[in-house]
Amino acid sequence: MAWFTDRHCFLLAVLFYGAATVYSVFLWRKGFRRDDWINYFLLAAGVALHTLAITKRGISFHSCPVNNLYEATTFLLWALGLASLVYALLPKFKFICAFAAPVLFLVGIFALMPSLDPPHGLKPDFSNWQRSLHAATILQAYGAFGLAAVAAVMFLVEQRDLKLHKLRALLSFLPSIQRLEVITTRLVTVGFILLTIGLTVGWLLPRKAGASFFDDPKVLWSTLLWIAYLEALVAHKFFGRSARRFAIGVVVVFVLLLLTFGITNHFSALHN
Amino acid sequence: MSVVVIGLSHRSAPVELRERFAFAEDTIPGALKALRDHGIAEEAVILSTCNRVEIYTATLQPPEQAFTGLKKFLADHHAFEGALNSEVYTLTEPQSLHHLFKVASGLDSMVIGETEIFGQLKKAYDVAFQNKFTGAKLNKAFQRAFHVAKHIRTETNIQRGSVSVMSAAVELAEKIFSSLAEQEVLVIGAGETSEKTARALQSRGVKKIAVTNRSPERARTLADELGARALPFENWTSELERVDIAVSSTAAPHHILERAQLEPVLLRRKNRPLLLIDLAVPRDIEPAVNELENVYLYNVDDLQGIANDYLKLRHKEISRCEKIISEKVTALLTANKFPAGG
Repeated sequence: MAWFTDRHCFLLAVLFYGAATVYSVFLWRKGFRRDDWINYFLLAAGVALHTLAITKRGISFHSCPVNNLYEATTFLLWALGLASLVYALLPKFKFICAFAAPVLFLVGIFALMPSLDPPHGLKPDFSNWQRSLHAATILQAYGAFGLAAVAAVMFLVEQRDLKLHKLRALLSFLPSIQRLEVITTRLVTVGFILLTIGLTVGWLLPRKAGASFFDDPKVLWSTLLWIAYLEALVAHKFFGRSARRFAIGVVVVFVLLLLTFGITNHFSALHN
Repeated sequence: MSVVVIGLSHRSAPVELRERFAFAEDTIPGALKALRDHGIAEEAVILSTCNRVEIYTATLQPPEQAFTGLKKFLADHHAFEGALNSEVYTLTEPQSLHHLFKVASGLDSMVIGETEIFGQLKKAYDVAFQNKFTGAKLNKAFQRAFHVAKHIRTETNIQRGSVSVMSAAVELAEKIFSSLAEQEVLVIGAGETSEKTARALQSRGVKKIAVTNRSPERARTLADELGARALPFENWTSELERVDIAVSSTAAPHHILERAQLEPVLLRRKNRPLLLIDLAVPRDIEPAVNELENVYLYNVDDLQGIANDYLKLRHKEISRCEKIISEKVTALLTANKFPAGG
């Protein structure tokens, strides 16, 4: 079984995410009327294989597997998938899996591109515990932001249906919009705290002589993300930004995060 | 021994006749004893509700003879001297079991899919069971009927949704707010519609209610009945800053709440959602209010539309339920433990 690498495991996980995405489309078309477990188990199978994939790679390095873009992306997705499975156990939250599956599938396909996972030695350079903590907390923060975006999409769908008096709003097994708003806010808060910890630990890490944080696109990008989420939280909590606008903001920032994650990593001297 | 049914329901007989044949709760054990004493039935269950009077029996008699005896029993028991024809239906196996399963599942009810009949049937069975008027045949048939009803409830949409305006309003509130127990309701207008909606909300956990009406006496009366507080009609709009749900059904000939009035109030509500239920005709609330952020306005037509859509959905499910029932009846009749029909 030596030929069966962690990448094969991840490929199988992405196939399960794909199956969950296809099933999600049917659930969406039927207005989430059936409260079933099929999507949950498809996603759970994907997350189990995903866990095996990152465990295999982590064991081979004896550290948290977040050394290149492939590993960072798979770690982010794993945090998102696992959190979705946990949240789905809350009453009326099972359909969070249907909203999370397309994100896991599409970003999973992106992560599988071979160029994101160049071969490296038996023990990569990037492997002390502070660096692992820095990378892991930041990627978990992105996972929380991803889940917040998923909850925000659920909020926007349901809020629109309620505003337009669509029967689908009542027929669906989605939670109340007030509850979705609370969950979205909490997830953004958790993500923001993790991002703050991750960035602080990163600030304290030793760096090459002459290298500046302020010249590094990844650091600037992360700081901009931190400011964007801080602004969203403060505006919503203290300055009366409506739940709908807050949800739109959370979705937009996370989409931008996904779109620019690879590019900023590529141009970052400190992270390559 | 086979299961046979005789009965009158909202489908076959007018209410004047149904009430004539209704069994008072305390007379049922005596009636069951009489059925057995007359040799009409070995086992029997009497179901008597406002929409139906039915006698389920397991009898050794040939069906025609049993039906003659049951009709005579019904007429004698209720001192009815007229003739009973198409108002009374008689069913033999397997239709009798099919009918029992349909009744338990709410498929034979006036409002398709309603669940009250399940409890009534269970109670009727319990009375017969406790008084030892059921045996192997009816025990099996009724237990299977309850199982089938639960199966249908979970596997189909026959019992989903609100089929009345009031329950649709409550369901809407539950889709907007996490918990109704923490929400405050303002009832504008002390009419019957407002009262029913307020009571429906109370039944789902609402604790804080305020009532306002042009006539303060009526507001106070309704407030006392609901355990709520009464408000003067002159300054009810200021309450909108605090409440989460407002139910309006006044007889005003014009809008009593307009967008321009609500806009400044919303600024002070700190983004809390506001559900406005306008049950008045002509409408009390300007429709443009629904365009405001965090406001969800539903009028009586919107709610009636929801109730009608739900009813259509239930009707669409009937064929699915019938199929399940047919399969379950066949399974019951072929089961070894169900004594063969005679």
